[in-house]
Amino acid sequence: MALTPQILGALQDIVGPAGLVVSAEGRLTYECDMHTFYKGAPDAVVLPESAAQVAAIVRLCRREHVPIVPRGSGTGLIGGAMAPEGGVMVSMTRMNRIVELDFPNRCATVEPGLINLWLSQATRDRGYFFAPDPSSQMVSSIGGNASTNAGGPHCLKYGITVNHVLGLEVVTGAGELVRLGGKAHERPGYDLTGVMVGAEGTLGLVTGVIVRLTHLPEGVKTILASFPTIEDASEAVSAIIRAGIIPAALEMLDEVVIRAIEEGVGAGYPKGAGAVLLIELDGPTAEIEAQSGPIEAICRDHLALEIRVAQSEAERALLWKGRKEAAGVFGRLTPNWLLQDAVVPRSKLPQIMKEVLAIGARHRLVIANVFHAGDGNLHPLICYDDRVPGELERAKQANEELLGACLRLGGSVTGEHGVGLDKRASLPMQFADADLDFMARLRRVFDPDSIMNPGKLLPSHPACGEGFRPAARPLPAGTWI
Amino acid sequence: MSQTQPVGPRLGAFDAQDPPSMDGLRACVHCGICLPQCPTYRVLGEEMDSPRGRVYLMRAAAEDRIGLTSTMARHLDLCLGCRACETACPSGVPFGQLLEATRGQFERLGVTAPTRDSATLRFILATFPHPGRLGRMLRPLRMYQRTGMQAVVRGLGLLAPFKKLRAMEALLPRVPRPGAPLPELIPARGRHRGRAGLLLGCAQRFFYPDVNADTARLLSAAGYDVVVPRAQECCGALHLHAGRIADFRAMAKRMMRAFAEVDVVVVNAAGCGSALKEYGHWLPDDGARAFSERVQDVSEVLVGCELPLRARPQTVTYHDACHLVHGQKVRAQPRELLRRIPGLTLVDLPDSELCCGSAGVYNLLEPEMAGELGRRKATRIRETGARVVTAGNPGCLMQIHQHCREAGVDVEVVHPVTLLARALEER
Amino acid sequence: MAVSTVAVHGALADIAGREHCLRDPAALASYAIDGMIPAAVVRPASADEVSRLVALCAAERLTVTPRGAGTSMALGNPPRRLEVVIELSRMRAVREYVPEDMVATVEAGATLDQLAAHFAPHRQALTLDPPGGGARSVGGVLATHASGPLRFRYGTGRDLLLGARFVQADGALTWGGAKVVKSVTGYDVPKLLVGSLGTLGVLVETTLRLHPTPPASRSWRLGFPSREAAGAFLAGLLDSPLQPDRAALLDGAALRRAGLAVDPIGLLLSISSAAEAVEHQGRALARLGASHGGRSDQAPDRAWTGLGGAVDGPILLRAIGESRRLLEWVGEAHAAAARAGVEVMLLAQPGHGVLQISIGDGFDAARVVGDLVLPLRRALEAEGGSLILERGPIEIKAKCDVWGHIDPEVFTIMSRIKTEFDPGGVLNPGRFVGGL
Repeated sequence: MALTPQILGALQDIVGPAGLVVSAEGRLTYECDMHTFYKGAPDAVVLPESAAQVAAIVRLCRREHVPIVPRGSGTGLIGGAMAPEGGVMVSMTRMNRIVELDFPNRCATVEPGLINLWLSQATRDRGYFFAPDPSSQMVSSIGGNASTNAGGPHCLKYGITVNHVLGLEVVTGAGELVRLGGKAHERPGYDLTGVMVGAEGTLGLVTGVIVRLTHLPEGVKTILASFPTIEDASEAVSAIIRAGIIPAALEMLDEVVIRAIEEGVGAGYPKGAGAVLLIELDGPTAEIEAQSGPIEAICRDHLALEIRVAQSEAERALLWKGRKEAAGVFGRLTPNWLLQDAVVPRSKLPQIMKEVLAIGARHRLVIANVFHAGDGNLHPLICYDDRVPGELERAKQANEELLGACLRLGGSVTGEHGVGLDKRASLPMQFADADLDFMARLRRVFDPDSIMNPGKLLPSHPACGEGFRPAARPLPAGTWI
Repeated sequence: MSQTQPVGPRLGAFDAQDPPSMDGLRACVHCGICLPQCPTYRVLGEEMDSPRGRVYLMRAAAEDRIGLTSTMARHLDLCLGCRACETACPSGVPFGQLLEATRGQFERLGVTAPTRDSATLRFILATFPHPGRLGRMLRPLRMYQRTGMQAVVRGLGLLAPFKKLRAMEALLPRVPRPGAPLPELIPARGRHRGRAGLLLGCAQRFFYPDVNADTARLLSAAGYDVVVPRAQECCGALHLHAGRIADFRAMAKRMMRAFAEVDVVVVNAAGCGSALKEYGHWLPDDGARAFSERVQDVSEVLVGCELPLRARPQTVTYHDACHLVHGQKVRAQPRELLRRIPGLTLVDLPDSELCCGSAGVYNLLEPEMAGELGRRKATRIRETGARVVTAGNPGCLMQIHQHCREAGVDVEVVHPVTLLARALEER
Repeated sequence: MAVSTVAVHGALADIAGREHCLRDPAALASYAIDGMIPAAVVRPASADEVSRLVALCAAERLTVTPRGAGTSMALGNPPRRLEVVIELSRMRAVREYVPEDMVATVEAGATLDQLAAHFAPHRQALTLDPPGGGARSVGGVLATHASGPLRFRYGTGRDLLLGARFVQADGALTWGGAKVVKSVTGYDVPKLLVGSLGTLGVLVETTLRLHPTPPASRSWRLGFPSREAAGAFLAGLLDSPLQPDRAALLDGAALRRAGLAVDPIGLLLSISSAAEAVEHQGRALARLGASHGGRSDQAPDRAWTGLGGAVDGPILLRAIGESRRLLEWVGEAHAAAARAGVEVMLLAQPGHGVLQISIGDGFDAARVVGDLVLPLRRALEAEGGSLILERGPIEIKAKCDVWGHIDPEVFTIMSRIKTEFDPGGVLNPGRFVGGL
């Protein structure tokens, strides 16, 4: 649906000409996030610079029944920041200030477009950091993290984004600018902050966030243990958890990923291992020392080929750089990919890893694995080439089977990436109609006219009979010279 | 445009002549890690003025989803070509080459953005890479400065209505009197290491001739016979960045011939060094790859040598010229050299790798964006408290000098070789 | 109500069984809330029974009030109507527990003590410890968002509830969340239920995150001569890498009541980790305390169970403010108590800005409300905080709202949520904020 000149004019009145993008070329660059499989260009992109502007935009769109799609840095993996039904994309990238650092209260007030890592960089000298550390943190925004309830390797110990959000300023789908939560750690009433985090922009647009700051640990120890096979590594993970040790992070990478990382950023990962575990302990130094011995012993018991402890901050940073940029190096591995984010109970990790290998073999596809082993959050990357006939179909099939296997083991569809467009059709595998209905009604409370990020998060009502459409939207005529 | 059509299959909207590499375009996984490193994205926050967005447009053109439009040209014009995105990219997308190839296509097609200042660009390309012409322009400019006219013009803001002219005037460093040209051969002092060819550069030789003289002194002290070929002209970087690929190739060939007889070609201007190192990519059949492998920045050469340096207490901060840190991946060597000067305290410059806005002649073509970046750089420099800021590129020196002056940041702006030469103990 | 009491009791008994449907007026009187006696109390055995009971009540336009162990029924405004109380004490099974996953699914009626005993052999625990709350049901603890000293390290029910099965106001058995520690599949419905006082649904089954019990643990009592000294110590503690797992702040009266050495302000802290780490941090703790003029002594682990006595007065207030202002509010609370002519005991959650004020017998209701509750509440609300009456006699509730002021725009949303999911006002009507 195209926007009328009146609507475009009204948008321009709100954000100014420099805040409105209407060219075909510009809108094209906003048609997808990191998951380029899902493309949908908006009819206009606005870049507001204040909550008041955001509220005005939402009210206008509500009046005119124009869908709204919020976007942060556009690094999501679920087809969240794209506009399958056109409409107005609201990019929060220009609202990226640190509004206040409040160390006595151990919190910070920030604008949603602020890059996650920049907050930790700003607080580091004072001894604090923002604990949620998704792999995208050097580019993803805190508003985006809040909208998807992002995780990251260190959420094993520190919790996920919702555990670190004290308050949100949002513009609801009804156009109301409200402040949920605040600096106080609790308040009477329903936990609307808790519900808004992870709502993927379907309940409202986040215009401000109050986050917890966490004290930097006294010490850090990063251990890289390599194993002959993924199964050995998975068993080691289970054993570590069984021993009652919760590391700050417990990541697994398989040989496919290791190869790509070494070709890409070169992080010093050992070649030739079937899998490696990147284990990080942090906290009081005495505690770390007491835990690292048992961890190393467990690794050795599970046939570890090599156990390496990072000897310097530089070495540690390099090991993590490899892990954090793993998603980026996939360009070297494969032209196309489908990525799962399913979670299984930790105890089922060895079992599901066997399944992953079997599914890959069955469909003759490489499935690379880099994931948060400590909390059972898998990231199987199904590699394919869309130029080869039939590979996409096999990839989709493998994707389905993998998800089914995870859910059969008592898991969840998505651990941290969110649902977006990619996984909404899978929700009925985990929730019954009554459960989905509850969520749909909750959505309507905040978004009575269904303009907030339509087509995302919840499956459409079966009566609509709508399937899943990843194809690119055709561009309007006239873009050619 | 009556040109013969290139032979070969088209790549979507691109023709067969030096199109951007499809493999290079497909390497982008759309992860966005490049975004926070891109100066124009930092300023504008818009996807189409980010590396990811620009690659997306190029790929869309290569896949026939869009044509080569003037709007697309605008977004490519705004790109500084600083290649910070390449440093950040985990997938190895060769952004710089994709950009230059695409600009080449636009250039041949004659598609430009309405905002493009073609007149200024034509003027620049007609003068800067021609030492004779540039040299002749400088005498009146020197008069302009020394007679006090510049003070009057600047003080009264007479150029305010002429944005481009004002931008150029503001950038002008103190034009030095032309000294005696460097001899063609400066012999090595002490243990002989080899023959080093010295690239004089265009802006460097006229605006910072002392930098060339100091470079020669240092190389000689390090044990190199320094050869300064008279035949050298321009490295062609400006033409490459502007998409004039054919002109660039011609200049590259002449440059390679001028430096045929040396072991190492030493460059003290990051933009030139980066272009020379790319000859191998753009002229694969002309021995250019071998040539490119002989090219080194002066810091790469000197870091491997022992130089007697005496103490000079000073607080210095180092700015990474884009074409040195991103274009040539040289970041540790200049810092290492500075640390070797006794008494020198090297203070970290936050965002040192973020472009100052010079980017070749970008600050003359896009003064608004360049000005914003220059102001931000000056603020960062002020925050370090350093009294000296140093960078390995004449364009950066001019840009940083202008913006520190305008922001009231009291620093001396010099090339690292200047600091090294000052500390050099001559026996 | 229109339908006869006998008919209702019959229908309820058909679902839960005659012996689990209380009708005797004397017995019902012990289930009174704020002087109101329910018409019936039912004790279902399963989620399915709860579902059918609620559906029946909804159809018959009867209100439903969930009840766990019954110790926190006083929290909330006086009920608008109190008809059927559904007591979950029979539903206390541990449905699923895989120690390796550190996740357990338990029925809402299971008590904290029961669960502690269940998980202890595997060296794991549900880290919820509201003072004196061992006999409380987990459903009740979650529905009232109760918390204790373990909050310092492990958070509250909000952070520990992974998934919940609940019965909506129309009887629909509904599930929200997940059974694994990380899930963002759909909305975080459990968050909506925690602290909701059963007004959106009756919790029947909860999936909870557990934590390993560290190998060693020691506790210390640090006493300070003044609020300023204690506040400076607390700031230093929060700004350090020390990681106590439990923390509580007590005034002199609370210290005495808890059987601990008395100082004007005391902090009770425990550190649980590997033995060497406990020793090491303990020494650092003592040094930090001494540097702020505090005296430290070892405290036995049972000191923690003694905290319940500090919050068992007939009136219990919960003052919530910014974490850094805690000691100031301690001072304000003492001053207000003096003005109101009452004896108080203060127990706080350092680092979270939560202060419980327990008021003893012999109070004048008008003075308590006029000189203590309302002024303190106003002062807290002016800074974005709140003051809740967690427990109090009817004459206090008559003079002031239990919950305090809610921002009108935020309340509008809450009200819409309540209307959406309980349009008929079946679940605990009138007890929650704003009379929801």
